[in-house]
Amino acid sequence: MAELRGTTNGPVLTRWFGTDDLHRIDVYERLGGYVALRKAITTMTPDQIVQEIKDSGLRGRGGADFSTGVKWSLMPKESAVPMHLVVNADESEPGSAKDRYLMENSPHMLLEGVGIAAYAIRSHQAWIYIRGEYDLPFARLTAGIEEMRAKGYLGPKPFGADWELDIRIFRGHGAYICGEEGALLESLEGKRAQPRAWKPPYPAQKGAWGRPTTVNNVETISTVPFIIDRGAAEYAKFGTEKAKGTRMFTVSGHVQRPGNYEMEIGKTYRDLIEGLAGGALPGRTIKCWWPGGSSSPVMPGDLLDTTTDLDGIKNLANLKDHPAPPLNMGGRGFATMGGSGGVIVMDDTFCAVKAAHRLLQFYAHESCGKCTPCRVGGNWAVRAYDAILSGNGGPQEIKILERVQEGLQGGRCLCGLGDAAGWVIASSLTHYRNEYEEHALHNVCSAEKVGMAANA
Amino acid sequence: MGVLSDHVMEEIRALPPQFPEVRSAVMPALDLAQEEIGYLTPEAMSDVAAALNLDPGYVEGVATFYTLFHTEPTGKHRLYMCTNISCKLRGADDLLEHAMRSVGVHEQGEVSADGLFSVEAVECLGACEYAPMMRLDHAYHYDLTPEKVDELITARRNPSPPVPARQTKPRTPRRQKTDG
Ligand SMILES: Cc1cc2nc3c(=O)[nH]c(=O)nc-3n(C[C@H](O)[C@H](O)[C@H](O)COP(=O)(O)O)c2cc1C
Ligand code: SF4
Ligand code: FES
Repeated sequence: MAELRGTTNGPVLTRWFGTDDLHRIDVYERLGGYVALRKAITTMTPDQIVQEIKDSGLRGRGGADFSTGVKWSLMPKESAVPMHLVVNADESEPGSAKDRYLMENSPHMLLEGVGIAAYAIRSHQAWIYIRGEYDLPFARLTAGIEEMRAKGYLGPKPFGADWELDIRIFRGHGAYICGEEGALLESLEGKRAQPRAWKPPYPAQKGAWGRPTTVNNVETISTVPFIIDRGAAEYAKFGTEKAKGTRMFTVSGHVQRPGNYEMEIGKTYRDLIEGLAGGALPGRTIKCWWPGGSSSPVMPGDLLDTTTDLDGIKNLANLKDHPAPPLNMGGRGFATMGGSGGVIVMDDTFCAVKAAHRLLQFYAHESCGKCTPCRVGGNWAVRAYDAILSGNGGPQEIKILERVQEGLQGGRCLCGLGDAAGWVIASSLTHYRNEYEEHALHNVCSAEKVGMAANA
Repeated sequence: MGVLSDHVMEEIRALPPQFPEVRSAVMPALDLAQEEIGYLTPEAMSDVAAALNLDPGYVEGVATFYTLFHTEPTGKHRLYMCTNISCKLRGADDLLEHAMRSVGVHEQGEVSADGLFSVEAVECLGACEYAPMMRLDHAYHYDLTPEKVDELITARRNPSPPVPARQTKPRTPRRQKTDG
């Protein structure tokens, strides 16, 4: 396996990382693994577990930031049909690699969490939906499930308790939209992955195969064993008043030490990017960074002191004083979000317009085509960027981008992909309008000049 | 007459009981078909549909939605080069071109004359800390440089011992590109 890039011996999720063969069940158990699952199944009721998770303050790490305990409590306590836990291991958000890091190195932490979560929501059959390209994580999880079965932790009587548990894996086949939970469930049912119009009934009533279902992210579920083992209070010691715990960040792009870092929530992006990831490459300056995957609005380099306690999508106080003229971010004023924790760093040698162009190509390519603004808008934007960057653009292309970003945002699209595409344009235009104008009006790329000087 | 072998058809028929509903077996079944004959021909899709008792149009609709299903021939070794933002910031575009030159193709999806390779630019593969990177023969390859790409290609041209790839049966001649 490749050299580990990221936190080892961290506070919660990565506390055993760095131990040889951590992916093997005997090693994992020697360190204290499966104590939590045994405790949960043999000494706690499902409701006690849900309460413990609520008390811990854990919120979903898949991007939506919703309370995990509350989500679990929405599941029915009785059901005539089977209920399911579905783990979202589709991780395809550009800039995010943390779920892969967790599954590859510590598959049993996820599997133990799956057992606890399934028990808590009264599900006997849990599914892990993993993206098809993740060969090693798939192999590790498959081997892990076999090891669990051999020990009797899966099957009719895990730890001697009268409570059957089964974990199954479903491989995706390459489509970003499968990470959206409605699309994921469609895909699991063997269909084209198109998001569902989420109005009642919600997945807790009718999810996978029409059955009550809870969907949670890999990191969310991997955190559960720590909370059950040590108690909610121990977990809640980390973090801030509102946002508890630690979380994984992937730092990539123009930094000295790209990697997957576990950090306490409430520290700043400067702590992460300049501290853990070593900061800008020698002689370069950080121009901008995306806090939570390419879908989170981009932030200028002078705002690195932003807290990682990003409450979903919220207005950032310090942005109000920022000189960049705010664009209408779906009526929210200017905002960003913690998203998936995939922090992408770009320095002054790279062009903001080219970066946005690449991301719009991504969103246009991955649009499932269900809503018009998303299906059509993405391609319009790509064509406008093509024109601007090839020297064939003018003020009208910038106008097109402004119109398209409006159309994509503010609930006009069924799922978050459309909004995300709009945010890419809006936030990039807000902070780097000068680069757009240089390209569109004068066919000049100032970043390229910086890049050439840096490489000279 | 079907194109899938009896044992693959048998494996496909054994899939549905693993799922609450038969449709969930479509993608695993298409996987088996693609493993066997390299890519999904209309005949292969209709075999899958027959084995699962589903409408062939439905099966094709699923196959064409997902990028890991190929309805055109591909090389025996597929280079899936990540060109999304984190890899692009670290030189993925140049590497993509280099890889295409090295295997001797002019465009993405084209199969090299020896049938060994095809190259595809893909979206983020979730290994951004190792950018630039690619997936090749069911494994990730990290911190790529032109030299590393060439080594991987050479090792597959002159396998000693053979580099494992998908098992493929002989098939009809591949789409060839003329110079232009
Ligand atoms: C376009 C789109 C892509 C998404 N991709 C992922 C993903 O790859 N992994 C993930 O866990 N959540 C993803 N989500 C969020 C899921 O819809 C869902 O909120 C999440 O899996 C719930 O788990 P959590 O509560 O543990 O965060 C995505 C959402 C959207 C709109
Ligand atoms: S916003 Fe885009 S990806 Fe989401 S459902 Fe609509 S068309 Fe599909
Ligand atoms: S952008 Fe290439 S692996 Fe994520």
